[in-house]
Formats: sequence, C-alpha cells, structure tokens
Amino acid sequence: MTEPILDLRGINKSFGPVHVLHDIDFTVQPGEVTALVGDNGAGKSTLVKCIAGIHPIDSGEVYFEGEQVHIHGPRDAAHLGIEVVYQDLALCDNLDIVQNMFLGRERGKAGLLDEADMEQAARKTLTSLSVRTVKSVRTQVASLSGGQRQTVAIAKAVLWNSKVVLLDEPTAALGVAQTRQVLDLVRRLAEQGLGVVLISHNMNDVFEVADRIACLYLGRMAAEVLTKDVTHGQVVELITAGRSGDLGIARPESATI
Amino acid sequence: MTTPTAGARPDEVRRHNRTALLRKLHVDGPSTRASLAAELGLNRSTIKALVDGLAESGVVAERVPAQRSGAGRPSLLVLPQPHAAVVMAIDVRVEQVAMALVGLGGDILGRDSWNLHHRSRDPGEVITHIADSAKLLADELDVVPVGVGVSVPGVVRRADGLVHEAPNLHWTDVALGSRLSAVLKVPVQVGNDAELGALAEHVRGAARTASDMVYITADVGVGGGVISSGRPLRGTGGYVGELGHMVVRPGGRRCYCGCQGCWETEVGEAALCRALALPEDAPRGAVVAELRSLAASPEAVAHRLGEFTEWLAMGLVTVVNMLGPELVVLGDLFTALPDQVVDEVRRVVQKRSLVSRAVGGTRILSSPLGRDAKLLGAAELAFEPVLSEV
Repeated sequence: MTEPILDLRGINKSFGPVHVLHDIDFTVQPGEVTALVGDNGAGKSTLVKCIAGIHPIDSGEVYFEGEQVHIHGPRDAAHLGIEVVYQDLALCDNLDIVQNMFLGRERGKAGLLDEADMEQAARKTLTSLSVRTVKSVRTQVASLSGGQRQTVAIAKAVLWNSKVVLLDEPTAALGVAQTRQVLDLVRRLAEQGLGVVLISHNMNDVFEVADRIACLYLGRMAAEVLTKDVTHGQVVELITAGRSGDLGIARPESATI
Repeated sequence: MTTPTAGARPDEVRRHNRTALLRKLHVDGPSTRASLAAELGLNRSTIKALVDGLAESGVVAERVPAQRSGAGRPSLLVLPQPHAAVVMAIDVRVEQVAMALVGLGGDILGRDSWNLHHRSRDPGEVITHIADSAKLLADELDVVPVGVGVSVPGVVRRADGLVHEAPNLHWTDVALGSRLSAVLKVPVQVGNDAELGALAEHVRGAARTASDMVYITADVGVGGGVISSGRPLRGTGGYVGELGHMVVRPGGRRCYCGCQGCWETEVGEAALCRALALPEDAPRGAVVAELRSLAASPEAVAHRLGEFTEWLAMGLVTVVNMLGPELVVLGDLFTALPDQVVDEVRRVVQKRSLVSRAVGGTRILSSPLGRDAKLLGAAELAFEPVLSEV
C-alpha cells in the first residue's frame, strides 16, 4: 500500500471553551478522492482550515509525505503543496484568469511581469485538465459562470504543482449541470495522482466521485470507510448518529462538544 | 467494385464536395479558402459556392486572418462553428462512465462522469444515468445532439450496437445501441473502446500522419485497435482487436476468456498493481501516483517494472510482426508509465522484431490524448454519418 500523502494524528482544536475537534485521525491517499462528510457544525470546515494553516492546531501531529511538519500559516501549507478551494469562489472579479491564477505569486524579473510566460502556463494547465469550456485566458473572471470560476480555482491548484487539494463544498453555489462539470474535474485531479479532499453534503455526488469517505460526528472522526464497502443509508446514519452497525464511535451518546 | 455505376448527377457531386470540405474543416480546423481549394483539388469558385452555402446555414463563419502570409488580398479564413452540429460521446469504462458533448471541429463543450460500483454497473442503471445526464448537459449548453457514439470495453456488433460480451463489466448480450437510441431518440453507434481509441489517435492524436498504426490500451483489460492503409481493420463482424488475449505465457495465470497466460494477465492493470505492490483493486489515481513517484529513480523503475516491461515488449514484438504498423500508440493506463519503460520497450522491439528492423524502427509513443482518447473516438464515430447531413 502506498503511504498516505497527508496524515493527521490526534488533532485537537478549541475555540475558547468550545472543543471543536477531538483527537481527529485523518489520512489522505495520493490519487484518491476522500470525501469529508458530516452534519453542520461537525467540524469539517474547521478541519480543512487547520490543514490549510488558517487555524493553528492545539495539539496533534501532521505528517506530509511521511515527514512531520508544522503548519503555522497558509504560506507554509502552500509551500508544502496544499491548496484549498473554497465554496465562496475566492477569486478577484476585476482580474482576468491569468492574473487570478498567479495572484500574489506573479512571475517576472527585474520588476517587470512576464505576462507571456504566465499566460502560456495558464493555458497549458487548463489544457492538461482538458478544460475546453473557457474561451480565452484573458477573460475577466466577472464574466465567467460559477462552474467556470470553480474550474479556474481548481486549475490554480494544478498550476502550482500542489500535491493535496482541499475542496470545501466546491459545488454549493452551482447549478446541477455545472456541478457535474466540477465533479468531473475533481476526478481528473485524482487521476493525475493528486490527493483530493472533497467536502460535500450531497450523498449522490459523494458516491459518484469519492474513493473513500470520512465521517465527522460532533468533532470526532466517526469512521473512515471505502466507498465501495458502504451504502448511502450507512453513511447517513454515520452522519446523523455517529454510528451504523459495527462502524462508527462506540458510544456516540457520550460524545460532548 | 467492378460493375459500372451510374454517372453522378451534379447535386450528388455537390453533396460529396460539401461533405469533403466539412470533414476537412472538422479534422484539420480552420483553413483559408485558398488552402481548401489546394488540398481538395477544387476550383476556387466551387469552394466559394460551398463555403457561402455553409456560412448561410451557420455551419461555418469567415474571418480575415490575423497573420498575413504574403502580398495581395488575404484569403478568408473559414472556421467551423462548434454549435452547428453537436454529438454526444460516451465512454463506458469498468470503473466509471465519462460523457461529453462535442461540437463540430472536435471541441468538447461540456462533460460529465461518474464512478461505477457493483450495483450501478448494471446496464439498466448505466442507461438511466446516461439519459439523465444527457438531458442536463444538453439543457445547460442549449444544444440538441444529432448523434451519439459509445465506447464499450467489450466485443460489440457494429451493425446494431449489441454488446456480446464485456467481461470486466459483467455484461452479456446487452442491446446497448437500440436501448440507448430508444431513450435518447437519436441514432446511436456503439464501438469497441480500443478501436475508437485508434480512430481518435488517427484523427486527432499522435497518428494523424500515419496510415498504418496500432493503438494498444490498458484499462482493467488490454485491447488493441488497428488502422490499416488509413482505414480501421475490422475483420468479420468487426471483432478484430482482442490483442490482450494472445497467449504469451503458456501455463500462466488463468484468464476469464478461457485461456491461460493471456497478454492481459501480464500487462493489464492488475499486473501493474502486482508489480507496484498495490492491491489489485487500487484506484487508478493511486497507480498513477505510485508510477510518478517511482519515475524519479531509474534503478527503482528497472527493479520494480523490469518484468512488466519485458512482457509488454514481448507482446508488442508479436503485434508489430503480425500487423506491420509504422506507429504503435500506447494509451490509457500506459500513458502513466515512466518514459524509461517506454524507451526500453522501443529499444527491445526494434532489436527483436523483423518487421521493425525492416521499416527502420517502428515508432512507439505514449498517447497524447491520454484518458480522453476513447471519448474523442466515440465522438468521431458519431460524427461519421452527421457530416454528410449537416
């Protein structure tokens, strides 16, 4: 078995008196889509933000490609090759696709931007993902559809040679057909060998793209299972009750926040 | 044909020329009127009449080229309009289904895909999901597909799209073509995945200039598609292509086809997983990730994939000797193989194959279309009858 690209052990996180994450163990395998599911407030987004370096963790260990690392901020995470795509489309409307993809990391020398080089790299990345729905890489992001924007946000992750991509409800703001396009792209990311984490509330989407499913219940990891081994019903039970048959937390009723 | 045929009437000639022109634009992309006239061997005024007719019905548009090539008034650039004719391409694989709407000129306008598990692999489920998704995609893009092409990893009867056997999908005698066309209400053509991969490489990929080529694909199973003298080699009923079931290792592993030691059992996805010490049902991405991390160290590649490379080369020597292609394209999972493996295979084939030596070295390449080859091939299959009708 390949070693996990990202391995979290015993992660704890509190906001003041609220203990949000309890001893979370979570692994991401290269080339697989891991769906992170859970009810509202279960800690999904917090976990992703901890990985991305936005929230510091209180205790626990993080291993990246087998080596222990300390993530103190988003820059550390980006440096390791961890990229996050948020549901609220973190792109700048007034910039074009190339400017967005290189925002904050522009290429150039002697104080001048190398526009041609950046444009070429952006186009190459979109082609490598078989994205053919965007006409020109100089289109302003404001004029793109929601699906196209998420495509750009995801392509950004590929451009920067990321090894792990975390997608926090990438399809929440999208229509049905655009959701399909984005999920197709998510799968192609994994097929290129990246480790992909997908947060989603839609069970159909999860079953269609994910290779494994991690269920959070009230800040605890209820179960990490292979998609092919479970049914919709079992996953819903894990989300709502924290256990299903032999799976899940031994005594969910004693779980406290 | 030996019997004399009736003379062609002017409108038939015109239709023939129009189809030829459209096919040229569809395959080679935008061209100037002058180059169309030169390459089709038609008079400039004939080209003008044809292009005007097509422009009027919105199938092509004309534009002044941005770059001038010489003195004089520039010849107008003729561009195929993707939305003028849209087909639906469907690639049914063992672990997933991918589909796309493809416009005239070969642009992918929209796409969708989903994983298959044991329950959703049932033909009825797959057809239902395809129908749902087809409607979504067509509504979103506001187009009406005029044809459908389907790629299936199995033995397919071309005439009516009956899937005789698709062992890895566990399908037997599924009337896929007629069932799909009943649901989608457009003509549906079904083809073998490797054959369509070969078609895609021939039309849009690495084999555009090669008239004799073989496309070898590895997904869960291994198959081959053959283009001979510029045309697909079909055999009786169109069943050519089960190259994965040549026996290369007598007494080897048992194969579901009834033989022992088929090529597929030595170079298929399961064999690759064994070589990489992964479980045999590891997801595709995990295999790709492992191959990529392995590629960094040449010794590790030689050590772990040495035997795999040997079996791959051995089968290819037979393929090259038997079919005499000028080019072999390795597709799908094989595109993830480290360059070192492909180089070694090329070297061995060149050394051991009589035919390869005779033609000065058969070229062996990784597919530039990668995972999309079969999808694009399915689109070309659907375009075949459409081009003469638009």
